[in-house]
Amino acid sequence: MSEKIYAWLLRLYPPHFREKYGDEALELLRDRARDETGFFRTLRLWLDLLTDLVISIPRVYRSVRPALIGSAVQRVGGGPAFFVLEDGSQRLPAFVFGGILSLAVLTIVFGLLIHAGGQKAVGASAHADFASSSLRSRPSLSATSENAENWQPDSVAAAFQGAGGAAPMDAAERQRVIDGAIANLKRFYFDKDVALKTADALLVHEKHGDDNAATQGEVFAGVVTRQMRDASHDMHLELEYSQAPLPMGPPAETPDSLERYRQRMLQQNCMIRRAEILSHNVGYLKIDFFPDASVCGAMAKSAMASVNDADAIIFDLRDSTGGLENMVALIASYLFDHPEYMYSPRGAPTENSWTRSPVPGNRLADKPVYVLTSSTTWSGAEQFSYDLKNLKRATLIGETTRGGAHAGAFHRIDDHFGMGIPEEKAINPFGKADWEGVGVGPDVRVKAADALETARKLAVSKLDGK
Amino acid sequence: MPKRKLQPLPSAAFQILLSLAGEDLHGYGIMREVAEQTEGRMRLGPGTLYSSIQTLLEAGLIGELDQRETAKRGQERRRYYRLTAAGRKLARSEADRLADLLRVARAKKILRGEYV
Repeated sequence: MSEKIYAWLLRLYPPHFREKYGDEALELLRDRARDETGFFRTLRLWLDLLTDLVISIPRVYRSVRPALIGSAVQRVGGGPAFFVLEDGSQRLPAFVFGGILSLAVLTIVFGLLIHAGGQKAVGASAHADFASSSLRSRPSLSATSENAENWQPDSVAAAFQGAGGAAPMDAAERQRVIDGAIANLKRFYFDKDVALKTADALLVHEKHGDDNAATQGEVFAGVVTRQMRDASHDMHLELEYSQAPLPMGPPAETPDSLERYRQRMLQQNCMIRRAEILSHNVGYLKIDFFPDASVCGAMAKSAMASVNDADAIIFDLRDSTGGLENMVALIASYLFDHPEYMYSPRGAPTENSWTRSPVPGNRLADKPVYVLTSSTTWSGAEQFSYDLKNLKRATLIGETTRGGAHAGAFHRIDDHFGMGIPEEKAINPFGKADWEGVGVGPDVRVKAADALETARKLAVSKLDGK
Repeated sequence: MPKRKLQPLPSAAFQILLSLAGEDLHGYGIMREVAEQTEGRMRLGPGTLYSSIQTLLEAGLIGELDQRETAKRGQERRRYYRLTAAGRKLARSEADRLADLLRVARAKKILRGEYV
């Protein structure tokens, strides 16, 4: 029955469409009717079909119109023209169906409007934004890969928020920005050959006029970013646009801003959410962020001291959003009896890339370590997990992490454009790709919610086996 | 002309390209795959589905499998569609565009999940 009705409704489509797709459309209806049984699903099927008719019929007719315009119909003056869309004359049933359909659609739309009034979309909800509140700027322009990220959220994002009407870009401005981007690439990008290749690609695109359509800064930034990434295969290269003028450099670190950061961190217990001894003398640390060691070093040390006598230790990074390498190295210092290189793909090793092991008085260097991960564990927390896993110092339990190895220092081009450029590429001592885009896989794969329980069991059985 | 109709790429067309990224599908297969990848939010009706397919065919973004290949699947009555290289490229650039948009959204802090 429903098939017959739909076969009739199909007559509303132009003949060429019916000929080509009519049978398939009926086939599709049969498939759906077979799979979707029951009152509500059938009702939904018909609502879908009717909505689809209303939306797609004008579309299908629009797609035959250009042919008509091109051939027979001449427009007269500037007056309104009436195009005949069907090859033959309209049949009466078509009008009748059109009328019935319009009534049905009006009823549905009316119903939907009443219904939709009751449920407004829920906008972006407020959330505790610990990670960004813990970002801070570095005073110098000699950018390490970290400080770009540190100052971007504070200044660039703030600049983004000063939205207003943007003036369209002209060719001269595009030229200026591309020249600036090329200069920065050649000067800062870690691989000179790739920098030259990418610069050439930008020039070729410009010469071919590939950028000309982009008159809005944001669009232009996207276009150039894609061109650079296509040429270099480096997803960290990007051109950024900000409507509000960019500051001349990373905002200077004032005693005030440092003090505010310190206060915020201390109020949050430096993002160390728990530090306790569980049953069977298993130490448990829940670390939701790795803040700057120069501010939170003392607090991290006291947290580590509080679990110093544990026989095994669990680091819970399931809610951890990342942090700085110096804190990653500081906490890892307690897990070794000799300095160990904590590899980070963000840049060449610095003095903070090595652990400060052995730590006087520390008794954790030879204790079993478990790291709990989730699919949201991110960035610096992934570095901690990745390095300890590859150094065979910890058992990772939980889910594959989210996969953010982000690097790229920010370079200002002019008032509205800046770009992210990876300046250094650290050699991976583990001889494989880092976790960018793929995450760090666990040794023991369980749901994040079950990871703590699994870790406790593993720890206890290991301790009992001693 | 079809090129112009695909700029910007309608979301139904993008979903169809994505649905064909993994394997060749017939109309109903595409509909089900799209419903699955949008968690049921997009159920393509026959009219939208086939008019989009027609536009994508005309633009050379998807192709129709020939009779022999279709017969091998034992589904002679149905037409199977396959993503072309151009279609894959367009889908990728659309995904890039959305990723860029996401980056802006993140910079404007309307998304959860900050990163360092």
